[in-house]
Amino acid sequence: MDPESRNGFVGLVLVSHSAAIADGLAELVAQVAGPSVPIVAAGGGPDGTFGTDGGRVLVALQEAAGSGGAVVLMDLGSSVLSVRAALDELPAETVARLRIADAPLVEGAIAAGVTASTGGSVDEVLAAAQEARTVAKF
Amino acid sequence: MPSSETERRATLPVEVPLHARPAGDFVRAAAQFPAEISVAANGKRANAKSILEILALGALGGTELVIAASGDRAAEAAEHLAGLVPDLG
Repeated sequence: MDPESRNGFVGLVLVSHSAAIADGLAELVAQVAGPSVPIVAAGGGPDGTFGTDGGRVLVALQEAAGSGGAVVLMDLGSSVLSVRAALDELPAETVARLRIADAPLVEGAIAAGVTASTGGSVDEVLAAAQEARTVAKF
Repeated sequence: MPSSETERRATLPVEVPLHARPAGDFVRAAAQFPAEISVAANGKRANAKSILEILALGALGGTELVIAASGDRAAEAAEHLAGLVPDLG
């Protein structure tokens, strides 16, 4: 992604055991949040199976931590572990632009994406994602 | 600054429920204003800047929304959002 094209909007990284979930969620969030929010999907294992790919997660975090910073959302289990492992590999100035959301993946990503599209800060986008833990669906 | 409260009513187009995409457009518009803004429908009230709360209203097409704003630029915010609702799609 061209860093100059990001316009300072906070980005999202979506980590899932399933490439289809991560890619499909990225499309859905783009529909609701509009084209200005950079979204990087990192789903599935190294060989296209279900699982997580630590190398791909690391690259996704590096790519997303550009000018505006990024909020990382994960499904569960090893997605969380691979994000934590990737953070250990990254320089402190990159880690400082990232926030890890403890939130349901779909609802959190929609809320985070819309808040990012309003020009919200990385901490505001994180708060929107984590609001998904408590807001009732109906 | 004394806070002023303004309320406006607006009706969703009959064919447009307040689902994810129009709700996103509404929240983006609300977020441009510093005012505290709420939207009420179906006996529920939502923060106009929270898409998850807006979606939880479950507002179907043709539903009347009550938009209430208070604080800085409240009247302008309520007016702008009420004007937007009939054009959502």
